[in-house]
Amino acid sequence: MSTRNRLRSLFTLVLLNGIIPIRTQPLYVVNLLASPLSFLFFIYIVSGGHLLLYGVLGGMILTMLSVGTSLQSDLTHYRHDLKFQDVVVASPVEAPTYVAGMALSELVYSLPALAVFVVLFVYEGWATPFTVAVVAGVLLLVWGFASAFAFTLATYFQDVRETFLFSPIISLVLTVLPPVYYPISALPAWAQFVARFSPTTYAAGLVQGAVGLAPLSFSDGLVDWVVLGSFTAALFLIAGFKARWQDP
Amino acid sequence: MDWAIHADHLRKVYPHAPPGVAALEGLNLDIPKGRVYGLIGRNGAGKTTFVRIAATQLEYTSGTIEVLGLDVARQARALRAQIACVPQESRPLYFLNVQEVVYLYLKMRGADPVDARRRTRDVLAELSLTEFAKRSVQRLSGGLRRRVLCAMVLASDADLLFLDEPTTGLDPLARREVWEAIRRTSREHRTLLLTTHYLDEAEALSARLALIERGRLMLEGTPSDLRARVRYPYRVTIQGAFPAEELKSYGRVSEIEGGYLVFAREDDAREVARLALERGARLSMGPVSLEDIFLEVVGRSIEDDSGAKSEEAADEYA
Repeated sequence: MSTRNRLRSLFTLVLLNGIIPIRTQPLYVVNLLASPLSFLFFIYIVSGGHLLLYGVLGGMILTMLSVGTSLQSDLTHYRHDLKFQDVVVASPVEAPTYVAGMALSELVYSLPALAVFVVLFVYEGWATPFTVAVVAGVLLLVWGFASAFAFTLATYFQDVRETFLFSPIISLVLTVLPPVYYPISALPAWAQFVARFSPTTYAAGLVQGAVGLAPLSFSDGLVDWVVLGSFTAALFLIAGFKARWQDP
Repeated sequence: MDWAIHADHLRKVYPHAPPGVAALEGLNLDIPKGRVYGLIGRNGAGKTTFVRIAATQLEYTSGTIEVLGLDVARQARALRAQIACVPQESRPLYFLNVQEVVYLYLKMRGADPVDARRRTRDVLAELSLTEFAKRSVQRLSGGLRRRVLCAMVLASDADLLFLDEPTTGLDPLARREVWEAIRRTSREHRTLLLTTHYLDEAEALSARLALIERGRLMLEGTPSDLRARVRYPYRVTIQGAFPAEELKSYGRVSEIEGGYLVFAREDDAREVARLALERGARLSMGPVSLEDIFLEVVGRSIEDDSGAKSEEAADEYA
């Protein structure tokens, strides 16, 4: 398949799974706005406004992670209930194009929520070329690993109901327990150690450090980038070797 | 001969299958190019497994299979550019309308938008779907949804089309429209591999047929080849009184309402017909149907999901 045709396939998938469903059912957007914004509201109330700024940055990360959980459900549903993946496999569309197209289409649903957080980000006066570059890079990596992880898991699920079981666990492990919505210093030492196993801890550390909410030395920042990048690369590798395009 | 599909000792054992249970058991099958080829068999016979392997959707355990001259295991990427498939039990994406299902499928395959639009318009007209073009898939009957999926792959430029039970759930008129579209596609010298439960459909559409049972090839050939391979290629239906014992010497006899059904060789069938006429019984005579052949070879109706004849039957006919 030529690059031109790959791009055509990619954008067709975005249209097919992102834009057209929203056109048909706009409530999808409300649903995806509800989760991060209600979390932000909750944090604002409980912390008396103290953690609101953490909530804005955490909301961005949660929004990108929700791309992964939605992708996981959609891929499983399309694979088992509609046999759409079988239609795609027996066509010139290659697995990376399919996954990228589907992951981009899920991003379309997240754009309104992201837009809200970007407005708050700019309103706080955080937007400088440096912070924008850091936040964009971090969100790109989070989107990347969430999508690769989702694709791998979806190829093993036998029923869409299994995704309903896993999605909340993934959200809990990656966004609620790690210090995404609050500073890592708020955790006791043992919990800080455990949090270091979650890639979102590094993602949150980078964006919090970039806007000056939490202290971040150059060397700590470098370590965070390396860990986050390695984690993303590892999940892409796992997806490349372990995800099933053909059934066994 | 230029084969569309050449399978040699193809074997498939699903992971976690009970020991000794293979979905395909050393299947040898050559499918010629440029025709409609029918694959018939009961549920679980191995038809869909074969289609999914040939369409690169499923890995196989051993043997070899080439599709359009390409090795399915090693050259899947090149092969996928030349095939299209309607999987069994597939459904179109429910939030699209009919036109979008076809158009976006073609664009996803890399078709130029202008060409995709033209092909979409043409195929919808061919399959009498134009009036539904803007209707959401959600609001279509099950039969219409299957027709939309057929339209989707028939509109593609693929050289080999896999249609796994494409007319299941369609009413007789809609089935005929799909048949006509399939015939038209075959006139474009494309190859269609069709699996079906409907033996009349297989016979009406297929230039050649393969009968699969328990993952093994039982019979293969043109419909007339298949008739020539069975023990009794003619059927005589007799309505009226007739001594059954006398009929048994001519072939296999089944009792039917108000008479008998006799399966016999051609000469014997003529003799039975002559005797029946002499005795004033009403009769009809003709070659056996595909259903009759299936019943003889497999020992069960195609709709019967229970056990089948022993494996010796496979050796006898293959």
